[in-house]
Amino acid sequence: MSEVILEAVDIEFSYPDGTNALRRVNLQVKKGEKLAILGSNGAGKSTLFLHFNGIYRPNSGSIKYRGQDVSYDKKALIELRKKVGIVFQDPDSQLFSASVWQDISFGPLNLELAEEVVMDRVQQAMLDTETTDLKDKPTHLLSYGQKKRVSIAGVLAMEPEVIIFDEPTAWLDPRHAREFMELLEKLSQKGKTIIISTHDVDLAYVWSDRIAVMHSGEIIANGEPGEVFLQPELIKRADLVLPWLLEMHGVLVQKGWLSPAIPLPKTREDLFSSIAARSERKLSAL
Amino acid sequence: MINLDAYAYSNALKIVHPAEKLSFAMITLVVCLASPTVITPLIVLALMAGGIIIKAGIPGRFFVKLMLVPLTFLLVSVLTIAFSISPSPAGFWLAHNVGGLTLGIRFPDLITAVHIFIKSLGAVSCLYFLALTTPITEIITVLGKMRVPVIITELMVLIYRFIFVFMEIATTIRRAQSSRLGYISKKSSFRSLSWLFSALFGKVFLKSNELFDTMTSRCYTGEIKVLAKKYPVSLKNYLVLTMLEIPLVLLNLLGR
Ligand SMILES: Nc1ncnc2c1ncn2[C@@H]1O[C@H](COP(=O)(O)OP(=O)(O)OP(=O)(O)O)[C@@H](O)[C@H]1O
Ligand SMILES: [Mg+2]
Repeated sequence: MSEVILEAVDIEFSYPDGTNALRRVNLQVKKGEKLAILGSNGAGKSTLFLHFNGIYRPNSGSIKYRGQDVSYDKKALIELRKKVGIVFQDPDSQLFSASVWQDISFGPLNLELAEEVVMDRVQQAMLDTETTDLKDKPTHLLSYGQKKRVSIAGVLAMEPEVIIFDEPTAWLDPRHAREFMELLEKLSQKGKTIIISTHDVDLAYVWSDRIAVMHSGEIIANGEPGEVFLQPELIKRADLVLPWLLEMHGVLVQKGWLSPAIPLPKTREDLFSSIAARSERKLSAL
Repeated sequence: MINLDAYAYSNALKIVHPAEKLSFAMITLVVCLASPTVITPLIVLALMAGGIIIKAGIPGRFFVKLMLVPLTFLLVSVLTIAFSISPSPAGFWLAHNVGGLTLGIRFPDLITAVHIFIKSLGAVSCLYFLALTTPITEIITVLGKMRVPVIITELMVLIYRFIFVFMEIATTIRRAQSSRLGYISKKSSFRSLSWLFSALFGKVFLKSNELFDTMTSRCYTGEIKVLAKKYPVSLKNYLVLTMLEIPLVLLNLLGR
């Protein structure tokens, strides 16, 4: 469980225009974990992800997959991309075909699988992302959230070991966002390693095993959700806010409704049940 | 234009094998253009109208509107063929004298003009049939099977997709400009339009880079491979096609 599958070692990267997008980034991703990367706009999340896939090559430092430095020759890159898939932030730059079905089949066909296998995978990916109904629609008539789901299906069909989602729930409606989180849970149970970037602190807090916080090209914190959010200066520096669960918990503790000994709530049920217990005691005391 | 494309995905003939629709449209187009008389083009026009409205279930009004699109253009070009100017009034069927010059119509020219007009309408209807019943993506697949060079089919895939992406970007920018009164006067319109274009070019460049990255990340190595959708091949459709084309070809031969 604790084997490191993907690793960034001292990565430095500047765009051709001189933007220093990554500064000595170190990050270890463990096999099977759920990692959330938080950070404000322009923090460097998307840039880091492109390194994990070998699309960008660091100016210095290296990317390791299963402990091995990624060599940037053609074959090694293809191997890396088979194992690490990215769902990009903007579906309009990921969907290249006007046909939903053809677009989803693109990735698995590049893996040189038999056509029947590809067809099964496409079918399964469409079921998992609820895009089966969209099969015969052209991509340009889909809504943004639907396009997003199709682009997710296009990567799921490749069945990579590590799946990176760049802001997956932006633009999804609450139902599809929830279903997407369930899908992530399912993938995670199948043993996939999942990395997401998000601005949604509530989601990151509830979902992830570990959170990394990025700020102007650096990773400024990395740890369990509870730990990371207990550092107010850090949260402020990274332009983040507290998840509502923690904020509420803090207020309740401060005003004496909850004892400071109660552990941090991980779900809304945790929080609600601890409140109910205290009120009942209070009522019976009256 | 957009509606036309949308119908391609939702018409009643969408389940028919694209190769069948493509051959029907293309063979009829050739027969129509090769016709020495106006009878074949008229039949073709009726045939395609029937196919589009009755078989594919596309509203008649929409079809008529589409046929009106090339009409102005056609009329202008046909009129230039029909009318001629000459110093001598000989041979004119209808003529008008303007200061020593004769402006008018010669009878054979009129016949040619009418022929071209009707033939063009017939040919256009064939193309509309294809465009309204068959998604471009399917046409591209058929072209690929017909061994059209990969570079052409792949370019078609990307161009077709990105027409819509860029149109959306352009519409968004334009809307944003109009909402800030960017088109209130002639001067500001020119300025806004030039900004729109430069913004669009910037985006085109960015998007094409991004597209390459995203495709590379899905193991793209220089060839776009996608699954072709399976359609049932209908022998009956090919028979009907033959049955329709043979009389038209015969008609053409008789008209010679
Ligand atoms: N193609 C590019 N050329 C030059 N600079 C770029 C390019 N792409 C991104 N940058 C810059 O690199 C920095 C990091 O960008 P990146 O897209 O990685 O941020 P992000 O954390 O993904 O932000 P967001 O939350 O907005 O998606 C930003 O300052 C951005 O302006
Ligand atoms: Mg980003």
